[in-house]
Amino acid sequence: MTLRRGLWAIGLVALIAGGILFAIIAESPYTDDRGQLNELAPVIAWSFVGTGLWAWARRPENRTGALMVAIGFGWMLATLIVAQTPALYITGWVLYLLPYALLIHLLLAFPSGRLERRLDRVLVTGAYVPCLLLQAAQVVVFQPVDPCCGLARRENPLLITRDDGLFDALVLGQSVFSILALVALTVVLTSRFRAASETQRRALTPVLGAGVVMTVSLILTLTADLILASDDVEAIVDLIGRLAILCVPFGFLAGLARSRLSRAVAVSELVERLGARSEQRRPLRDALADALGDPSLSLAFDVGDRHVDAEGRTVALVAGAHTPVEREGRRVGAIVHDPALAEEEPAALRAAAGAVALSLENERLEAELRARIGELQRSRARMVEAEDAGRRRLERDLHDGAQQRLVALALTLRLARGKAEGALAELLDEAAAELQQATNELRELARGIHPAVLTDLGLGPAIGVLASRAAVPVEVAEVPADRLPAPVESAAYFLVAEALTNVSRYASASWAEVRIARANGSVTVQVSDDGVGGADPAIGSGLRGLADRAAALDGSFGVWSPPGGGTTVRAVLPCGS
Amino acid sequence: MALSVLIVDDHPTFRASARRLLEAEGYVVVGEAGDGVGGLAAAGVLAPDLVLLDVALPDLDGFEVARRLTAAPGAPAVVLTSSRDWSEIGDLVARSGARGFVSKDDLSGAVLAALEP
Repeated sequence: MTLRRGLWAIGLVALIAGGILFAIIAESPYTDDRGQLNELAPVIAWSFVGTGLWAWARRPENRTGALMVAIGFGWMLATLIVAQTPALYITGWVLYLLPYALLIHLLLAFPSGRLERRLDRVLVTGAYVPCLLLQAAQVVVFQPVDPCCGLARRENPLLITRDDGLFDALVLGQSVFSILALVALTVVLTSRFRAASETQRRALTPVLGAGVVMTVSLILTLTADLILASDDVEAIVDLIGRLAILCVPFGFLAGLARSRLSRAVAVSELVERLGARSEQRRPLRDALADALGDPSLSLAFDVGDRHVDAEGRTVALVAGAHTPVEREGRRVGAIVHDPALAEEEPAALRAAAGAVALSLENERLEAELRARIGELQRSRARMVEAEDAGRRRLERDLHDGAQQRLVALALTLRLARGKAEGALAELLDEAAAELQQATNELRELARGIHPAVLTDLGLGPAIGVLASRAAVPVEVAEVPADRLPAPVESAAYFLVAEALTNVSRYASASWAEVRIARANGSVTVQVSDDGVGGADPAIGSGLRGLADRAAALDGSFGVWSPPGGGTTVRAVLPCGS
Repeated sequence: MALSVLIVDDHPTFRASARRLLEAEGYVVVGEAGDGVGGLAAAGVLAPDLVLLDVALPDLDGFEVARRLTAAPGAPAVVLTSSRDWSEIGDLVARSGARGFVSKDDLSGAVLAALEP
């Protein structure tokens, strides 16, 4: 427990330093220079250090505690400006505005203690520049002579060269710079509060409230300085500012306490919400993240011996950063959260884990089902692709094998026929006719298995061939000029082939139209005729096969066939971009 | 004078039987090629009167080879052939610059003569 020991040591140092500071203030002849309540300084410092150490011990990885402690010590250092010893007085003078810069830093970094946004880092830099650099620049060019500008006549060992004009310019620049930075800070804090959720607001209200009061009073102080308001006005404004600053550490304490309190409330709200009707229910993860105040929270589901996220990806669980969720003694998943939450709110976590067990089990089953449906869909698409590939291969084998041999045989027969006479010639003619028949049949078979024109030349020529072979006049109204993915081309081709076969067999149509259009990442294939209608996809195995094929590609398929009103077959197939 | 013929086809059995048939019917087969690029090169060197060109070649498609063969002045006559039935895509044959299409099993000197210049 070296950290705890270190924190005790810091506390002890703060206590002693505060005591010494009291003594310095008590014997200082300068404490009334600026109408300040300097006696308040050690109290303000102790309250920052005390609350800071408490927060530091509780959440060591959160830097808020350390920042609070720094403000406390900064406050003591700044108060040294009332000291008589030149070294102490100069230290206080140079660091006079450091606590304000640290305060702005704290307000912007609350509640994590880290400056997570770029805007925050810019603003904090904008606070340190006038508070440290411009202040130090003033010190080296100014020699307090009269009771001027809040500084009593004292030696300035850091003086390089006295330049009252430059000093005035630096003070003016510092004031303007600070006012701008503070206005920006007020705007940022206000909008942050507006954007916060109900639960976050409960914790933020006291802290940001005190911060905004302090900021506004600082702006007033600086403005009063700038417009040279009377000393009474300055004194009142200064007092308000100091009291507001005294509120900040207690506001911070209240914020932490309220976040603890509100967490218990939030968990009970969560339980209530989980019982709500499904249409009012928020995603479980969001509800949990909100209730436990951890936006990084996620859910893990136990599937087999793996842990997966909502998308079915395997996730690794880190000890201390997750809380198991069990249902009826069986582990169903885990809440994956900020490790600090386990240290800080173990009871709330356990309560939440118990509350969400049933919902998480449901989501686990849904995730598993989604994963299986996805796998099924993919395997069906793979089967269709494999079937297409098989058909293409079979057609190619027929073409390269049997067809070539039959062709060679036909040519040899023709050669023989040229040299033969009489009865032999007649026999050869007969053989040639038989062979012709066989060749034609084989060619038709191969074409039915998979048309080479589709593979080699694409949909346009292939649909053209289908149209020219159809029994009724077919108008090809539209076909994409570019090649499409092979499964889409095959599906579109076989759909048109089957639909045109149906037109000539059943529709008693005088005319048909084919339209294949590609738009918005999908291809619409449509075949219409002016026939008798009344086609029923539930009866014809051909149409059902087309519906299956379209579904395997994650597409849709429909038949519109009112009696006497013609038939329209349409499929919409996804097709990349 | 006998017409000179270049046969471009990736099936050796077809090239052999086509050569035998055409030579028997009075043509002079001056060369053979197994793919589109080889066919284009051979046509440049041999300057045949006629190229009997398979539609489905392993490298280029036959229509493309026909387009390139017939692009130059003094180009050979090109007749496309296949064991598949490509006769229905008539405009592709015409646009390729080929004189016509003959199914492989219908090949004969008489059919070629009908398509000759």
